[in-house]
Amino acid sequence: MTQSRLLGVGAFLLGVFVLVPAFIHLTGRWDFYYTLTSVALLSVSAAGVWLTFYIGRINIGQGAYALLGGYVSAILMTQGGVNFWLTLPLAGLFCAAVSVLIGVPILRLRGVYFAMVTLVLTEVARLTALALPITNGAKGITSIPLPGELSIFGLTLIPDFATLENPKLAFYLMAAALMVLTYLVLWRIVNSRLGHLCRSLQQNEELSASIGVNTAMLRVLAYAISSFFGGLAGAIFVAISQSIYPSSFVVSDSVNFMLYCFLGGLGYVFGPMLGTLLLYFGWDLLSVAREYQLLIYSGTMIALMLILPNGVLSLFDRKGGSK
Amino acid sequence: MEQILANGLYLGAQYALIALGLTLIFSLMNVLNFAHGQMYVFGGFVTYTVVAQFGLPFIVGLLASAVTLAVMGALIERFLFRPVIRKSKRDESTMLLAAGIAFFLDAVILLLFGEKQRGVPKIVNGVFNWDMRLIMPYDRILIAALAVALIVSFILFMQYSRTGRAMRALAQDRMAAQLMGVDVDRYSMIGFAIGAMLAGLVGGLLVTITGVNLGMGGPTSVKAFLMIMIGGAGVISGAIAGGFILGMMESVGLTVLAAYGDITYLVIFITLMIFLAIRPQGLMGKPWG
Amino acid sequence: MKRRVFLATTGLTLALAFATNTAAWAENAKLKIGFVGVTSGPAAAWGISNQRSMETRAAWLNELGGVKIGDTTYDVEIVAFDDQKDPKRAIAGMEKMAQDGVHYVVGPNVDDGAAAVRPVAEQNGIIYFPYAFPKELYTPPASNAILGMVANYQSGPAIYKYLMDNKGVKKVAFVAANESDPLSQRDGGVEAAKALGLEVVSDSVTYQVDTTDFTPVLLPVIQTAPDLLVLSGVSPANAPQLIRSARELGYTGLISTETAQDATVLMEGAGELANGFISVGGASTPELASDAMKEFVDRYTKMFGEYNDESNTKVYALEYIIETLKANPAAIDNVEEFKKTIDTFSAPNPFMVGDAKLSYVGTTSFGQKRQVSVPLVVNEFKDGKFETLFVAQVD
Repeated sequence: MTQSRLLGVGAFLLGVFVLVPAFIHLTGRWDFYYTLTSVALLSVSAAGVWLTFYIGRINIGQGAYALLGGYVSAILMTQGGVNFWLTLPLAGLFCAAVSVLIGVPILRLRGVYFAMVTLVLTEVARLTALALPITNGAKGITSIPLPGELSIFGLTLIPDFATLENPKLAFYLMAAALMVLTYLVLWRIVNSRLGHLCRSLQQNEELSASIGVNTAMLRVLAYAISSFFGGLAGAIFVAISQSIYPSSFVVSDSVNFMLYCFLGGLGYVFGPMLGTLLLYFGWDLLSVAREYQLLIYSGTMIALMLILPNGVLSLFDRKGGSK
Repeated sequence: MEQILANGLYLGAQYALIALGLTLIFSLMNVLNFAHGQMYVFGGFVTYTVVAQFGLPFIVGLLASAVTLAVMGALIERFLFRPVIRKSKRDESTMLLAAGIAFFLDAVILLLFGEKQRGVPKIVNGVFNWDMRLIMPYDRILIAALAVALIVSFILFMQYSRTGRAMRALAQDRMAAQLMGVDVDRYSMIGFAIGAMLAGLVGGLLVTITGVNLGMGGPTSVKAFLMIMIGGAGVISGAIAGGFILGMMESVGLTVLAAYGDITYLVIFITLMIFLAIRPQGLMGKPWG
Repeated sequence: MKRRVFLATTGLTLALAFATNTAAWAENAKLKIGFVGVTSGPAAAWGISNQRSMETRAAWLNELGGVKIGDTTYDVEIVAFDDQKDPKRAIAGMEKMAQDGVHYVVGPNVDDGAAAVRPVAEQNGIIYFPYAFPKELYTPPASNAILGMVANYQSGPAIYKYLMDNKGVKKVAFVAANESDPLSQRDGGVEAAKALGLEVVSDSVTYQVDTTDFTPVLLPVIQTAPDLLVLSGVSPANAPQLIRSARELGYTGLISTETAQDATVLMEGAGELANGFISVGGASTPELASDAMKEFVDRYTKMFGEYNDESNTKVYALEYIIETLKANPAAIDNVEEFKKTIDTFSAPNPFMVGDAKLSYVGTTSFGQKRQVSVPLVVNEFKDGKFETLFVAQVD
């Protein structure tokens, strides 16, 4: 079992870091780099949403943290002159901190109530970005520099993106690495004591509280990790587009993150990754269908739901039980 | 002051009617229907087509909307939601289905009715003006009255008809209702059809005043969600209260906060979040809906 | 098990078919012009009118035997991408254009998208024509974006000045949706109005784009009794409702906007209450439209069932691209050549009567020529049609 799992992980890493770039070089489809970069980043964000699902909460507010993370990184870079690589963890941590403040009161809510409050949260984030002076309001922040050099003791670990011949590849590798790390962390969480406790929360919160699980603490912790992922993804998107506006992440992004999780399968750690790939990449490929793009896209979505209501990954579910 | 209250009441009446259909579907099937706004838009376009393109009277358009949407709702329940609910492990999975239907309706609306804003001519002309203290066009008064009439007849229907009673029983306890001999499948379908029909009716009513365009669907759904959250999810009286409260909040908020400019809606939304954090089940809802 | 394999293989085949299919067409003698904009969702009207006017014009040119650039005759092909008004998608769209070998792209339609695609366009040698107004897109060091229309900070002052001189406007109020584009336009408008010496009585009222009743929004604005109500960056969907609410509240002053509107939409949504509404249009009013413009409207109507007056301002970008390429054939795959031609380019304007010219402008606003010169036609709505109020030029 462990051997086959190791093999699977190896094949996955090989695919992401070797086969995909090789495929792109062979076919010359350079535009796939950006699309796949987006998929990787969005799936990082969706991983956070999945984690909140894991504690039994429907999270439609991840867009708010992506936006927040993006702004933190953008402001630190343009106004503080901070190196991008430092702003990245700071953006994540800032989001986690904010999510603790917001999470303590709202995580008491459940079901659709929690879902709706988080949905409102996305809109609140957008309106806040419009109203605050530090975000430059409606005019957004533009002309943000590309990620600079990352070096330790004079040793260059990551070169300045502006000097690279192919920043697309660099962004892809960065996003893919981040995705791999994120899912490693997620997988670790799920298969640890913490994951066990989270599952107990998903099934019956009162019961787990009654046997001494600190449910409040656990919920906030899971939500903070979730928001951390959202912030990271947002910050990298800002680095790619070199600009951020209040509308960079909106309600439809939040809804999409949730849909990625559903489509991949809520019971599977790698569900959101697959869901993101199918939905985001699918939309791009469907652009050949022109005015029927949305029709085919949504039709397929409905059909998938009818055939596989527990997510695409349930296809590989031999025993029929959730993981 | 009178003006602000009247605006709030008018907004509230239309909001409440939108929220009613959504809350009915939610109470029966525990489905958060993301496509509710699209159904509303679809209803508006049907009325527009009948009235403005075919030149038939407004009431025919309204009926056409109601029938079209009721049929659509019944079909969606029978062939989409029912099998998915039966097979899925977690209730929430229906949200993806609902979102897929919302996108699908968006695409259909774009292909059938085009991208432009549409509206039908006013059904009544003239403006009621009480000494400049209260100004209200007659068509708005008429639409608000119609909305209230619809709300009242819906409540009476739910309260006294056989179907209404069966649906209330279903909403209270699905299992118990089934044991008492209520045909769960049949009433779920009827409930969904009625919910969709209400959405279509509001669309038809409002096309005379605000018009309709393909982008209104998503935001309308979100607003309707807010209303049922304020009132309490799955409770009819809650939806009505939620609609009127949101209407009042907008009307009063916009006037009071006008001087502070861009933060009006920020304040409204934050107030909502705080309210829900303090009272998670809304005004009248069952906790943990 | 069988179903699994079946599903997996069909999925894979489909994906591969899509991936290879787009590459197979590359050899034809076609001139590909891109469009990246929003053609679905709430703002679909902007992008659709844009894409359709490009497709109408392209079909027309191809019917005439194509366009001759240098020694080669090309068929014009429009490559369109729907960005769903999402800046992240807009980047993907621009990447796709680069992939298809497209060097000239019309769009995106909004500020955030236009800013987000800038790095991609500059890296891949793409000139793009956004319908977004932020000045930093067009001022150096930025050099690949060309503003496809008249910006509000150019049209606004002209309109206010005209109304001050001719209608005695003294007090002005602004309303805008709480989104980036309209708010930026409002701020620009307020600044321009103050510079002209107008008294701004209200500039803080905003609304959500999904508002269904504008009476509460407009109530505090109307109470300040302005002579002119400016609907900054108003979308065609909101305009009729705003006009109607303002009139029904007893407002009798002027109403204007700096965006393009559609006459049918105004007529249906506000009826005669919209009479006197001032907006910016292209050259399709009967007094100004050339025969070519009239034929364009006919062809558009035949192709898509119904004309959209917003297209009047959107016929130009494609025309500019093709005419500039004709003037300098070397620019066909080299945007540096295109940029050189910009400074001297001039050609007759086919869509307007008289001897109007196509040329690049913008030196006053951006310090370099990064804007297409389109006539600033200010229209007044009257009984279902637009009438020309006055025409001005932007430098």
